[in-house]
Amino acid sequence: MYKLNFNFLERYGDMLLDGMKMTVIIVAWCLVIGLVLGTVMALLKQSKVRILRIFATVYVDILRNTPFLVQLFFFFYGLPALGIQTDAMATAVIALGINTSAQNCEIIRSGLLAVKKDYYECSGALGYTKMQTLWYFVLPISFRLAFKSLVNNFINLVLTSSVCFSITVVETMGAAKIIVGRTSRPFEIYLMILLCYCVFTYIISFIAKLVDRKIHIVL
Amino acid sequence: MSFYDYANLTGNDAMQYLRAAGVTLYITLMSLLIGTILGVVLGLIRCSKNKVISILPLILIEPLRNSPLVTQLFLIFYGLPIIGGIMLDPFPAAILALSLNTAAFMAVLVHNSVSAIPQGQWEAGLALGHSRGSTFIHVISRQALRLLVPQAITLYISQLQCSSLVALIGIMDLTKLGQNLALRTLKPFLIYGIVFLIYYVISSPLSRLAKSLEKKLSFHY
Repeated sequence: MYKLNFNFLERYGDMLLDGMKMTVIIVAWCLVIGLVLGTVMALLKQSKVRILRIFATVYVDILRNTPFLVQLFFFFYGLPALGIQTDAMATAVIALGINTSAQNCEIIRSGLLAVKKDYYECSGALGYTKMQTLWYFVLPISFRLAFKSLVNNFINLVLTSSVCFSITVVETMGAAKIIVGRTSRPFEIYLMILLCYCVFTYIISFIAKLVDRKIHIVL
Repeated sequence: MSFYDYANLTGNDAMQYLRAAGVTLYITLMSLLIGTILGVVLGLIRCSKNKVISILPLILIEPLRNSPLVTQLFLIFYGLPIIGGIMLDPFPAAILALSLNTAAFMAVLVHNSVSAIPQGQWEAGLALGHSRGSTFIHVISRQALRLLVPQAITLYISQLQCSSLVALIGIMDLTKLGQNLALRTLKPFLIYGIVFLIYYVISSPLSRLAKSLEKKLSFHY
């Protein structure tokens, strides 16, 4: 019978922690990029200019219908071919951020569509310009409506970020792979990583539930 | 200068693309088949009236849903041989990991769509003299299926894209082929462009289908 042995933690615990820090950094950057780009794309999808609308639709369509791993390779090997020097970390953040923005776009758009016409008329009557209406009325409401789905996407983002190890970013999964190479105890290490991710996502969804209770609205 | 010359590609590479697309489809379809069956079973157990029984599948579902697929894949491919002495080839390992992952998500979808059917439907069935099982088959399952199908197709699309991860354990699927060819021809844009196109061609009609089914099958009480 095989005996589980977690002694590697003593020696390589710091390495794992560094990896987790890296994951958090990547995820934080991608969250910001994904939300901003996603909102922009959602707004473009509703724009009155046809070209912008088509651009946003194609952008989202392509990104949602192709695997993230291929997108990652595309950026990692493709950008240098254009003469742009990149490091792995930046590429990972860019690729993951763009991928998340496409996922977020649909959700934010459904939030935007749920805001009724009355709100636009009200804010117009109060003398707000179009941009002000968007900023003070429509966006806050649609973000509140879309909050739950956005959190789901965020958890997905955390899980997807583990793919980034394939372009030599040393985040949690990358660190795990290095440790496996040194200790040859794959089962324990991957099991631990799996549980770590579980704990991490549980914490996120717990916080999200608390926040959701505060900001939940019904239109 | 012909296209093949420009891309450093040969006719053989075109065949390889097709073969790789076949591998991707094979792995996806197999794991979806197994995953769907397993997921429906788990989802139905989850719907059981007995509280203890209904919680049991969560032991399997929750870790699978809340951890990255790569980790699960590596745990099965590198971990199982060490702990149980079970040597798995990349193919069975990939199908096992993907189908377990699919099953977990499927189970949640099944549970959600069954519990979305209002209690009144159950009561109506029972009042007409059906047993609980008969009510489920004749009244509930049909309505639940209408909710389930579009979501299941969306899940299938995302699993198709997740299947690209099997390249990381050395299976020659589309992603791995793209990587190899890109290294050989040094034209990453072109090669990955073709890979994108193939994935898009497979998954785009499915996502259209999901969207139209969602509109067609939706209903209100």
